[in-house]
Amino acid sequence: MSELRRQVVTGEPRTVHGAAGLPGLRTQGEIDEQTTLGAAYVRSLMRSQLRAGIAAFVVLAVPVAVLPLFFGALRNGPVEWLVLGFGCYPFLVLIAWWYVRRAERNERDFADLVRGRTPEHGPQ
Amino acid sequence: MTGTVTATLLALCPLLLGAGFLLGRRTAHPDGRSDVGTPVERATFETLHTASLAAPALRAGLTEDTARKSARRLRTLLGTDALALTNRSAVLAWDGTAEQAHAKYVMEEVTPVLAAGRSVAFDCGCDAVDCPLRWAVAAPVVADGRVLGAVVAYAPRESAVLARAADEVARWVSVQLELAELDRSRTRLIEAEIKALRAQISPHFIFNSLAAIASFVRTDPERARELLLEFADFTRYSFRRHGEFTTLADELHSIDQYLALVRARFGDRLAVTLQIAPEVLPVTLPFLCLQPLVENAVKHGLEGAVTRSRISIRATDAGAEAEVVIEDDGVGMDPDALRAILRGEADGSTGIGLSNVDERLRQVFGDTYGLVIETEVGAGMKITVRIPKYRAGVYAP
Amino acid sequence: MNEAYAIPAVAVVVLATVLIGGFGLRISRTTSDFYVASRTVGPRLNAAAISGEYLSAASFLGVAGLLLVHGPDMLWYPVGYTAGYLVLLVFVAAPLRRSGAYTLPDFAEGRLESREVRRVVSMFVVGAGWLYLVPQLQGAGLTLQILTGAPRWFGGALVAAVVILAVAAGGMRSITFVQAFQYWLKLTALLVPAFFLVLAWHGDGGSPPTFPSTDLPSAGVGAGQPLATSRADHPLYATYGLIVATFLGTMGLPHVVVRFYTSPNGRAARRTTVVVLALVGVFYLLPPLYGWLGRIYAPELTAAQDADATVLLLPGRMVDGVAGDLLGALVAGGAFAAFLSTASGLTMAVAGVVSQDVLPARGVRHFRLGVLLAMAVPLGGALLVDGVPVADAVGMAFAVSASSFCPLLVLGIWWRRLTPPGALAGLFLGGGSALLAVTLTVSGAATSGWLHTLLAWPAVWSVPVGFLAMILVSLATPDAIPTHTTATMTRLHLPETLWSGSLRPPGLQGRGELRDQPYTTRTHDEAQGPTARREHK
Repeated sequence: MSELRRQVVTGEPRTVHGAAGLPGLRTQGEIDEQTTLGAAYVRSLMRSQLRAGIAAFVVLAVPVAVLPLFFGALRNGPVEWLVLGFGCYPFLVLIAWWYVRRAERNERDFADLVRGRTPEHGPQ
Repeated sequence: MTGTVTATLLALCPLLLGAGFLLGRRTAHPDGRSDVGTPVERATFETLHTASLAAPALRAGLTEDTARKSARRLRTLLGTDALALTNRSAVLAWDGTAEQAHAKYVMEEVTPVLAAGRSVAFDCGCDAVDCPLRWAVAAPVVADGRVLGAVVAYAPRESAVLARAADEVARWVSVQLELAELDRSRTRLIEAEIKALRAQISPHFIFNSLAAIASFVRTDPERARELLLEFADFTRYSFRRHGEFTTLADELHSIDQYLALVRARFGDRLAVTLQIAPEVLPVTLPFLCLQPLVENAVKHGLEGAVTRSRISIRATDAGAEAEVVIEDDGVGMDPDALRAILRGEADGSTGIGLSNVDERLRQVFGDTYGLVIETEVGAGMKITVRIPKYRAGVYAP
Repeated sequence: MNEAYAIPAVAVVVLATVLIGGFGLRISRTTSDFYVASRTVGPRLNAAAISGEYLSAASFLGVAGLLLVHGPDMLWYPVGYTAGYLVLLVFVAAPLRRSGAYTLPDFAEGRLESREVRRVVSMFVVGAGWLYLVPQLQGAGLTLQILTGAPRWFGGALVAAVVILAVAAGGMRSITFVQAFQYWLKLTALLVPAFFLVLAWHGDGGSPPTFPSTDLPSAGVGAGQPLATSRADHPLYATYGLIVATFLGTMGLPHVVVRFYTSPNGRAARRTTVVVLALVGVFYLLPPLYGWLGRIYAPELTAAQDADATVLLLPGRMVDGVAGDLLGALVAGGAFAAFLSTASGLTMAVAGVVSQDVLPARGVRHFRLGVLLAMAVPLGGALLVDGVPVADAVGMAFAVSASSFCPLLVLGIWWRRLTPPGALAGLFLGGGSALLAVTLTVSGAATSGWLHTLLAWPAVWSVPVGFLAMILVSLATPDAIPTHTTATMTRLHLPETLWSGSLRPPGLQGRGELRDQPYTTRTHDEAQGPTARREHK
């Protein structure tokens, strides 16, 4: 931008605090989190989310576990080609779509639950 | 086919090296069987290790919790049967045997230690025949010239070695607590500076902004209303009381509002260019840590005699880091004066923003993440900030 | 294949990549359109970028080649590559974003509060990344050889050079735009020729190809393909092996993980993943078509690595004249986009880990050194290796990822009792054994029988080993549970809207609403406000 040459200036290294992360700040944040929302609340959210995840996974895993055996017994190329080449992708997207709706609803319900009551009471 | 083997082995290299490294470290631990040094040396290592284990707790100050954690280590260090840690009014922790019988007399015995700040030895006078605690030494813990408490070490018989050792341990504890105090005051100082920074916005900037907005009320009421909303948003963010950290997106948003207010006053004298890689917007950084830099650039730009000053703000993706560059073509600065400011030797309010930002970045991300400033009188200024995309413990609220 | 068209096509792809990378930043000259410049990456753009980075040479060339040689059982590859994202979505996506981690080592350190685990994870990331990079460079070599007759090493070296220059020189600053562009380019490069190929096939009478039976005898398979022959030994086991590896391995791939950082929050990360599923799914409808047509028009390509060239050669064989050459050029350009995007994404990710966790000091210069290191080793590997089909080599990286990172992520996110020693044990036993098995296979230690099959498709046993080791060792070391586990779990699972008290300005997503609202009220007011003032005047 200018004809004059700039000098590079940096602050002096402070060896005392060479390591990163302020332990104090971290603890503060955690205390905030733990007091505003009880751990029991979070556990219940985790359980409902895990249930949704496992449900989606089972719907995926059961057909996948059976299909290779089925195709092996069937010995019919075109069917395998059709099912794996085309049919399964809409199925995958459908599971994903269902899961996202369910997970977001879980989170909404949870937010309502937390905002509706004072966190100190604990879940019922 | 041999080529394939070579390639895969190459891919394996880091893993094998790492595994070897870890195993090596495991086996090198001092359990006496390895060929690392004499018994004396090993004892020294062990002592140093124990001391280092006790240090983190003490660096958080002297409380019941930290005392309990460190008392066990300190007793290991001294090799005594029992050890007590007190503050000025009560026993904070007791580690070892016979707590029931002795703990209640501790405060009585340490009163002279707390008063004079000198070590005292005393007989326990225990009634129980099988009690191993017969003799004790109490040494003062001193920080900043004040006696904060005492270390009391118990033994079956009188021991000069223990007396001396207890003294040294108490002194070591004192040093740790002094460091803790230093940590705390440094954090307090920075907090105070953040508050000052927030407060600094008020008189000067608020007056100018409101004056500028007022000038539009009649000529361009629509614009005045928009500016007022920007102003409200901006102050809300700056006076936010919650959390030390923010995201780059929020910080840039606040900068945008700040610039809108400045432009309302100076109009075309200021040209701002922004280049932002959207990938780095979620990066977390200390709250209000770019805004002062932009403010600085604006000030330098407007001070210059140039008819139109340019400021550019660039945020780019650099792998595991984000890089933010703020550059102006204003009056620049004397590099030596700037160095003094960054050392914290500035007089008055000039550049308090810069040194505060530098200090906070180093404190949060580590020493290698300070500001890099390129400047000369009359040559404008370019400030580079590097921000790691992830740092344990750094989260936006 | 006509070089006159193909070489310019490749050059255009390379040039477009560099240009979009360099100038694709969102620039605003005035503060008024700042909002446009500072808007975060939306789910659709981000999903296209993720897909662009993900669809590698294995997808573009390898799948069709394998289908041609081995028949419809190989369709599990594209299905697995896609379903991997579903597993990632349901167990990992949102919590991973909320962890704030940029790389897997970041996640490991944040969750387990252990530098040691971080270091070990870093080594696995580098190892898996290199395993994945080798076939990309090989694929480039093959493509360029077919296009121009250049020696095999040349294509790999060219891609390596372009990636190093682009990434190290900071030329890939707006990587999201580049990768999103690459996705659409790749899709077009397969879709348009596919349309003409189907027309040509229809014109030829439209007879279906002869399908091989599922346990295809390896007729015509060259001797340099130990993996392929193993499939004929125990095809069912091999199929399950590749299913486990691809379904569970996707979540741990280094270039996939770093992309989630770009999402503004956990919810957006989830929605992004759904779009990725759809985009990847649409793409994978095409390679099987090429494999299918390849059985009719290029049945002799089943020898050795040549099968990978099916996609490149089909247009020229089926469509005559200039049209065929042009279509061939389009496919070649798409193939190069595949190498470039995956290679640059991987290099970025691996270089980030190398410069952070392997090289001592930090800074931009060290990142460049990291880029060089990240590329040099796989380039060396690609030059030495020959004869492993692209899709198979990628499958190995998936197996390693599934046995090490999948247990770490899933247990780390859902299980409070995971400890650093447990994580280390799982990584070394699961990931380490998978890596060992892959090494033994490639070195030809066992060329037939069950032992060979087990080693060639390790995921079936190495994934359970990884999980079990992590769980058992964690249970045995309850004292080592990280101090802040509760707080960390809270952060991983709590929706961002609840992250703090009332004063927080809404998150990135909400910020748009915050901004938009005043504007709508303003236009709303305009009806009365200004007129009222005009009267006042």
